Amino acid sequence: MTAAVKSGDTLTGRWRRWAPVAVLVGLCIFVGLFDFNFFSWSNFVRIMNVAAIPMVICMGSTFIILMGSIDLSAEGVIAICAVAASMLVANDYTGVAIGLWSVPIAIVIGGAIGLINGAVHVKLRIPSFMTTLGIGFAGIGVATAILGGTMVRITDNGFRNDLSLGRVFDIPAAVWIAAVAVGVAWVIQERMRIGRWLFAIGTDEATARNAGIPVERTRMLIFGIAGMFYGLAGALSAAQIGRGHALIAQDKLFTAITAVVVGGTALSGGVGSVLNSVIGVFIVVVLNNGMVLMGIEPYVQKGVQGLLIIAAVALALDRSRLDVVK
Amino acid sequence: MAVTLTGNFNKKMNRRTVLKGAAGAAAVGAMGSSFPMPAIAQETTWTLANSLRSVANPYHASFAKGGEDFAKSIGAKYEVLVTEGNSEKGIADIKALLQRTGGKLILNVDPNDSPDARVIVEEVKKAGGFVVTQWNKPADLHPWDFDPNYVAHMSFDGVPTAETIANELFKAFGGEGGIVALGGILSNVPAIERKLGLDNAIAKTNGKVQLLDFQPADWNEQKAFDITQAWITRFGDKVKGVFAANDGMGMGALEALRQNGLAGKVPVVGIDGIAAAVSAIEAGEFAGTVAWDPLWTGGMGLAIPYAHATGKIDIAKEGHEHREFYGTGIIVTKETVAAYKNNPPKVDFNDLWGKATGQIQYR
Repeated sequence: MTAAVKSGDTLTGRWRRWAPVAVLVGLCIFVGLFDFNFFSWSNFVRIMNVAAIPMVICMGSTFIILMGSIDLSAEGVIAICAVAASMLVANDYTGVAIGLWSVPIAIVIGGAIGLINGAVHVKLRIPSFMTTLGIGFAGIGVATAILGGTMVRITDNGFRNDLSLGRVFDIPAAVWIAAVAVGVAWVIQERMRIGRWLFAIGTDEATARNAGIPVERTRMLIFGIAGMFYGLAGALSAAQIGRGHALIAQDKLFTAITAVVVGGTALSGGVGSVLNSVIGVFIVVVLNNGMVLMGIEPYVQKGVQGLLIIAAVALALDRSRLDVVK
Repeated sequence: MAVTLTGNFNKKMNRRTVLKGAAGAAAVGAMGSSFPMPAIAQETTWTLANSLRSVANPYHASFAKGGEDFAKSIGAKYEVLVTEGNSEKGIADIKALLQRTGGKLILNVDPNDSPDARVIVEEVKKAGGFVVTQWNKPADLHPWDFDPNYVAHMSFDGVPTAETIANELFKAFGGEGGIVALGGILSNVPAIERKLGLDNAIAKTNGKVQLLDFQPADWNEQKAFDITQAWITRFGDKVKGVFAANDGMGMGALEALRQNGLAGKVPVVGIDGIAAAVSAIEAGEFAGTVAWDPLWTGGMGLAIPYAHATGKIDIAKEGHEHREFYGTGIIVTKETVAAYKNNPPKVDFNDLWGKATGQIQYR
């Protein structure tokens, strides 16, 4: 993983590289000891299925965080895209029924909102935290306004099968789509210039600028790309639940950012990888799944979650490179 | 004068500040577009307002619509105040509206949290307006202690409702076996009541029905989806039915069942009566839900104080059963769904307590 190359190939560096994986494996073994069903193929499929949508969101969020920014607009963007997608396939609200074409449209809408995020952030020099928070709220507001508080029910079962319910080799469609999204994100990160640039910007923006990297354009484009992942997540959410509504992405933002950080990507930027986030998503999902399997008291679950997040970050994050921890 | 102003403007604001302001205004505009814009002029007659959490959920959207229907029927000005889950915002908005209307305000409020109710009632009394509260209030806060301004408190009794719907669930799978249950936010009054009702129903089966596990999914569809997936792993076919404390979570559970080919085989029940749940009952995937009739609560919470304000009734002379009362929940099941859809509940604004079912009890 990229992070390790940067942390040097020392013993601690190598340990840090694999720490999230070790946490995940340890967690799986621990849960498996309590309930052997955890290791069953069907539970494996269920975990993959629950992880699919957070995974797609995380691919977008990781890029933004690698760049040293933050994107809080995910819930709003997903809401708009999910509502748009569900209104474009056969449904009980509009007369439109364009089937799978709604997916690229949702992705384009997501990308457009992402570009707005980027443009407002870069051109008006408003911190990404505030920009994306505002756009996210506006997104939920727009989705609410479109529907007037109601829900759209999707009646196009083909759409739901192709994006969520249908299975190929006994694995649900949503999982395959998430896998492709991870592949695309990995290619962007490793094989495209923009992927390398975002590490440079995240590590030290001034140096990146001096090296001739078009910082502003890269930033805007990355926000656009993140928006496209949210757009896809919106279409997947609509297909999974079979409905589109303004609150469809409730709590998904927090899960996504937790997963990115637990996976070992630093909020300060420049350190991490989309593959780290893949592990991070699985840690969060396995933990939630495991707490139900182990029958942990609901009152205690949130506490356990909090402790594990701190522990995972403590293990995975290389703080020696940080001058200040804030 | 205008020249001076422009001069100051140029001196104090550079281009970036202006752009920031414009962007902010645009964002606020986009958010505000979904809510009715407040009127600017000072009111001379009564202004009506419903205060609620968010128009993004179907229950509160209908609640707001019920208020609008009543306001239209009497030709009054009507506003919707949205707390977005923020108690301070909710109270501040109400204070502002009291100020603007000079106290000529009739307010129907679903307080964001129980303690808010006291502050709201005191503010309304001070200003001389009238208020009805819904669902949430402290147990020791009573309308008759604030005569006549605190007109009434309306709620629905979660305990018998949950018990009835749980029995519908048991019936759907033959009355014997294990169930799992999804609860709301642990500290919410309706969540506590509905859990109590479920526990009562289970106790009355004398061990025939067991509660395999209870998890709070915080009224959240996605959380319910994730938890139900894990339950299928943990309990497999021991799960004969799913109880959800509201329809949103019930829908999440249903979709999790569908992912495992169990939709329609393992019955689900919910509470609220949202349209999706009613369709699921028709499809044989939901065993039942309880419809609350938010159009009625949204409208009657204004109609009762309006009747007092216009001298039709004297609220201070009404009995306690007309000041703190439960509304009627309608049980919708496979047998009754067709009748419910063909004949949706009607609201008669002149029949002030027609759907009240007894004085609120404190357990």
